[in-house]
Amino acid sequence: MTFSMPYLRMELIRQLHNPFTLAFTLALPALMYIIFGASQDYGTMSAGHGNVAFSVMVSMAAYGVMTAMTSLTSLAASEASQGWGRQLSLTPLGTSGYAVSKVIVAFAYAALSLLVVFVIGAATGAQADGAWRWLLTAGVIMVAGTIFGLYGLGVGLMFNSDSAAGLASILLTFFAFFGNVFMPLSGTMLAIAHFTPMYGVVELARWPLSEGYVDDTVTDPMWMPILNVIAWTLVFGALVALGVKRSRNRV
Amino acid sequence: MNTTPAPSRTAPATARTTEPAIRIQGLTKHFGPVHAVDGIDLTVQPGEVLAFLGPNGAGKTTTLDVLLGLTDATSGTVKVLGGTPRAAVNAGRIAAVLQTGGLLRDVTVEQTVRTVASFFGATARVPEVMERADLTRIARRRVGKCSGGEQQRVKFALALVPDPDVLILDEPTAGMDVTARQHFWEAIQADADAGRTIVFATHFLQEAEQYAARTVLMAGGRIVADAPTHRLRESLGSRKVAATVPSGTVMDAVERLTALPGVADVAAEPIGGDGEDATRITLTAQDADGAARLLLTDLPGRDLEVVAPSLETAFTTLTTQE
Repeated sequence: MTFSMPYLRMELIRQLHNPFTLAFTLALPALMYIIFGASQDYGTMSAGHGNVAFSVMVSMAAYGVMTAMTSLTSLAASEASQGWGRQLSLTPLGTSGYAVSKVIVAFAYAALSLLVVFVIGAATGAQADGAWRWLLTAGVIMVAGTIFGLYGLGVGLMFNSDSAAGLASILLTFFAFFGNVFMPLSGTMLAIAHFTPMYGVVELARWPLSEGYVDDTVTDPMWMPILNVIAWTLVFGALVALGVKRSRNRV
Repeated sequence: MNTTPAPSRTAPATARTTEPAIRIQGLTKHFGPVHAVDGIDLTVQPGEVLAFLGPNGAGKTTTLDVLLGLTDATSGTVKVLGGTPRAAVNAGRIAAVLQTGGLLRDVTVEQTVRTVASFFGATARVPEVMERADLTRIARRRVGKCSGGEQQRVKFALALVPDPDVLILDEPTAGMDVTARQHFWEAIQADADAGRTIVFATHFLQEAEQYAARTVLMAGGRIVADAPTHRLRESLGSRKVAATVPSGTVMDAVERLTALPGVADVAAEPIGGDGEDATRITLTAQDADGAARLLLTDLPGRDLEVVAPSLETAFTTLTTQE
């Protein structure tokens, strides 16, 4: 058996009871959009193919998706290596059934986080030219955001504790500040930001709106965020490989 | 929803098959340079209750992990009820209570049991196994709020869910206090009477004595003894007794001590010094009190010494003998 509906249901409900998941993946991104996007005068200013509120909404939605991916995969990894994985190995569900359920849960909460921010955005004045820009943006966030699933998995496997999940999520806040996600950076800070893990994902997510325009002095070519995402995928992939090796040696 | 139907149970394991419950031949398991299991053979018949006794690092857990298909053998064959361990696990014919931990802390007791039961298509058995593991009173409690003993009983309930033929317990009472340990074993024993094959690992000699008819001693990845538990206890239970007697009485003392039941290895060695003519008598006795009483009352013995071999020394002796 590689899939169990009762197990998936239990995992989905468990996260609804997890205050951390609710606060950081659902409430925080929406709240930050309202504070820094919807309620600011600059929100209505034009920005590329939409307005600034839309741009802020995209950033916060991407942050929410990446947080959901990170925290849920890191929790899953540390949970598995703390013995629940062994327990499930003694049932027909096995490791693959566990992994499939966890991936679905991570995607479900990531999508829910994105939906909440987008719905609030649509209701409070975020605008883009054409519905397809909304859909394309959402799609890009969901696809590119998955690399943070690798990141969370890697950290969870490496450190094997619940605090690893917290650590992984706290690091995300730094990535967001230094990745030009929360607030516009400029000059040297912006130059450095190009190399941080969230920059590529968020830049690609904003592409339907901005087409590479960052500020009056900087416009990125498309290969730049793509290269960023590929490079960090490789880094996080290596982290997972290392974590798997480490958790095996521990047993 | 559930693709695996509950395996049908028509007859107890003993009546159904002539296959041994467990058959291990030439099993080795190496972790890099470490030989955790170093060539063991073991056959367990249906209905047997067997204790795996040994110090930490003896290879007990590794052997049980191979038996449960949690890890692959480096070499050798392992059959559970005639098939592979994985097949037996998937069919719910072998189940286990692993060492402490390994449950989701934020899920309730009943939900944990119910969810695992759904994998086996055996949700109908939930009330029964909850009752048998004595969990009914704490069904709605979150696992994280349960004591160590209660958590192990949850895992016992999970193991009972598929109604397995073979039940493996890997140091199930590690870290429990005496009361919790007793309570846990009461639940297990009630179940063992039903004719299930039970294999448990422990480093408590007492647990093996109380609950297993057969005991396998492991040390350094090998089986160093495999015998009925009462026989093993006799060899482990004997004590070394020593006393000093005047040399003139040695012949009489040796004769009378040897005549006592359960006394062996009687030896006498003159001890010099102080112009005294004395002899030190040493022996091993299962009834050390009787030998001591004889030495101090009927015989003119003094400087009495009684030493009980610890489990560790028993292991050392057995390992070096091999």
